[in-house]
Amino acid sequence: MRVPSRGAMQLEYFQLIDRILDLNLDEKTITVEAQVPKQSTIFEGHFPGYPIMPGVLLIESMAQTSGWLLLALFKFERMPFLAAVKEAKMRGFVPPGELLTIEANLVHEGSGYAITDAKIKVGGKLRCNSTITFSHVPFPNPDLRGHMDAVAKRIGFPQQALQS
Amino acid sequence: MSSTFDQVATIIAETCDIPRDTITPDSHAIDDLGIDSLDFLDIAFAIDKAFGIKLPLEKWTQEVNDGKATTEQYFVLKNLCARIDELVAAKNAGA
Repeated sequence: MRVPSRGAMQLEYFQLIDRILDLNLDEKTITVEAQVPKQSTIFEGHFPGYPIMPGVLLIESMAQTSGWLLLALFKFERMPFLAAVKEAKMRGFVPPGELLTIEANLVHEGSGYAITDAKIKVGGKLRCNSTITFSHVPFPNPDLRGHMDAVAKRIGFPQQALQS
Repeated sequence: MSSTFDQVATIIAETCDIPRDTITPDSHAIDDLGIDSLDFLDIAFAIDKAFGIKLPLEKWTQEVNDGKATTEQYFVLKNLCARIDELVAAKNAGA
């Protein structure tokens, strides 16, 4: 089994979040940070001679950020899965080495589904944004729950947030 | 009921790009209008917002899966609207 490592994003393993900077369950907001690696096999194909982060991975990073907010709101009893991506906008290129600040807030919590707004900023400027829908279900098996616990540890999930 | 139906029909027409005049109180959202579960999330979101309620989709799905209810009870629009009216009334009674 692969042990999650601390530090920069690992695009090939869908490790797209480095650390949680802020989680506010009253406001239902989250802010995370992710350093795009300088080198990755992803950049060998996207694109040769002009490496930029693929839009799908930027969308995935917004989905993962939203997912951690939802996991916290569900107190790790339910797992959110990506269901729909709306109005996803890639407003500028994200080259290797950039530091992403990714924010998400809860727009609506329905029965078995939730909607978030998410955005990626670089140097304080908006680079991407989207509205994202998730369906959520009780954790389908202990393995997935164990994996999410391990990732929570790696990215510094503030366990004390669940006590309040 | 009628105004609830009008609102719901408009939501469905706009969300799923279905001609408004093909949507009737007797339409079954899934069987007649062809709305799938993902599109129904958009409709549920719009209904939740418009009426200030939370459609209990999970409970309904569970009841249908367990054979305790039929999809007609929840997804024929006149029945869906009746459920919405009940949820709104319950919310107002609790307020």
